[in-house]
Amino acid sequence: MTARVTVVGSYPKPPHEGGEFALRGTLHALDRGDASVVDVRAAQDDLVREVIAEQAEAGVELVTDGQVRWDDPQTRFAEGLEGFGTTGLLRYFDTNTYFRQPVAKAPVARRGHIVLDEFLFAKDHSPVPVKQTLIGPYTLAALSVDEHYGDRGALVAVLAIALNEEARDLAEAGCEVIAFDEPALARIPGSPPGDLSLLAAVADRLTEGVAATTVLQTFFGDVAEHGPGLFDLPFDGFGVDLVAGPGNLEAIHEFPSDRILQAGIVDARNTRVEDPEALTREIEGLAGAVDPERLWMSPSAGLEFLPREAAQRKLAALADAARRFRGDG
Amino acid sequence: MSGVLKTTQVGSLPKPDYLLRARSEFARGEIPREELRELERRATREWVEFQNEIGIDVVVDGEQYRGDMVAFFAEELEGFSRGGLVRSYGNRYYRKPIITGPIRRTHPITVEWWGYAQSLTDRPVKGMLTGPYTIRDWSFDEHYDSRRDAVLALAEVIRDEAVALQEAGAEYIQIDEPAVSTRMDELDLAIEALAVVTEPLTVHTVTHICYGDFHNAYPRMLDLPVDQIDLELTNSRFDLLDRFAEHPFTKSIGLGVADVHSHRIETVDEVVKAIERTLQVIPADRVFVDPDCGLKTRSVEEAKDKLRVVVEGARRVRDRLG
Repeated sequence: MTARVTVVGSYPKPPHEGGEFALRGTLHALDRGDASVVDVRAAQDDLVREVIAEQAEAGVELVTDGQVRWDDPQTRFAEGLEGFGTTGLLRYFDTNTYFRQPVAKAPVARRGHIVLDEFLFAKDHSPVPVKQTLIGPYTLAALSVDEHYGDRGALVAVLAIALNEEARDLAEAGCEVIAFDEPALARIPGSPPGDLSLLAAVADRLTEGVAATTVLQTFFGDVAEHGPGLFDLPFDGFGVDLVAGPGNLEAIHEFPSDRILQAGIVDARNTRVEDPEALTREIEGLAGAVDPERLWMSPSAGLEFLPREAAQRKLAALADAARRFRGDG
Repeated sequence: MSGVLKTTQVGSLPKPDYLLRARSEFARGEIPREELRELERRATREWVEFQNEIGIDVVVDGEQYRGDMVAFFAEELEGFSRGGLVRSYGNRYYRKPIITGPIRRTHPITVEWWGYAQSLTDRPVKGMLTGPYTIRDWSFDEHYDSRRDAVLALAEVIRDEAVALQEAGAEYIQIDEPAVSTRMDELDLAIEALAVVTEPLTVHTVTHICYGDFHNAYPRMLDLPVDQIDLELTNSRFDLLDRFAEHPFTKSIGLGVADVHSHRIETVDEVVKAIERTLQVIPADRVFVDPDCGLKTRSVEEAKDKLRVVVEGARRVRDRLG
């Protein structure tokens, strides 16, 4: 399939304008003691079914469950791993959203499946293949307080082992595509670029024995200054943000011919909906640098920074552009 | 020594329970706007009276009539539409405004509230505005071609509001730019926009920026075209003061001495120490003492306790200075 349409990961949880926000209501009821975790689970299940159907209907060919069960990726994995606690709220890069900062307090290890059940539910309720996103070891380490290791590289290394275990289990359970989200690698406005050497040191360990297509997903900024060495890392594909990271366009001119490029060309941070014709021309340009069979199209980042309507309209515009590119629009 | 170590506040104060209830009732259509307005006036009056009572030098109206600091201005300006819900954190969501047309100011936004607060006190009441950079950064933009175009359009309308406050008699005008610290790369744009706002102003101008990557932005931060920069120093453990020793802080400083994110009330001694440390690098006539940020996230009682400690700490140091 050429110009396969996919997403980065998150999807808005709020309903369409005027709809009932059942998940929020159920979580409030849980706080008051009027609902149980079973009720929350049911509300999450409903929302997963809804957002998967919505993505598929918009024309997305590789969907996610929208991460709608998570407060945020950091908290989700910190809670799923032994050795972590959480502390105060911290701003998530240059967005106006916040997350509870994880704290590595003791040796970090996976004590059991983290998101496998979520993946299996999504797979059972999707008409198209489901991608599972995992936070990348570098980003989780970069956004955490380290009270135990005293060395960023050591924390990244143990996280790579834990996340590799999860990825292997996901692949065995039939997950065809696993993305490791590494926004901290990019040069995001307001933050220095990430230290690629820390991820490079553990990349083999992270992907070893994972019988699925692995994607290193970056967003929110430029990865150009890491040079072409980034694309030598042992992932099957690389996701780059061509909206917030204009330098990325330059970087992919040297994109290796045996890897997948997931190009984020729809702005996940603004409501203005792109013109499908302009997007089609962008895809045509990218197809000059990368074999269209290995070119995936996506929004620039997770869509949860947008209201629900805008997210849906943007996916439809992207899918429309991919169809036009293929000549079947 | 009078006129030094003036005490003030960053802006917002918590809303009392009766006002929070009334705001929900109004949102559900259960009470008329006039009834809500009356309670907003009551809460404003109570906060101004409290500040008079404890002796705050530069008073604020407490923003009892504002919800979100960006949405409040977006709702009053032409060119904005109400946006859909987006997540803030955890299970919390807010409506992020959308710029859908040219931004215009069709009427004064804060002048009437400023005038009401000023009528209740002999001390100066500070005019409180959200800055153009922050309004743009915390909105979606479907109209302008670039971030810069939108920021500069907003600068003109915020300038007009600031001029109206100055003409009404405000002696202090604060233009909050908390978003600047998230993207220090765009500090130049924030400076350019703030210059548009403050150019016609002759009164004492202030900007407040929250904790961020100050180390990299200092001393360039001193190019912000205002008389006073208000900084969240408690939350950053006052480590910036060492930088001020190397490179003098050439403006007045709004010295945050109380953490607004913590329930714990600072001790007077802690406030005294923070001020005295600062006086080693900045002279007393250029130091304004206040909490780190707006106190609206604290309870009414916590906010009052923190303000009492801030005022008492400043008074002790002032007495020692003679």
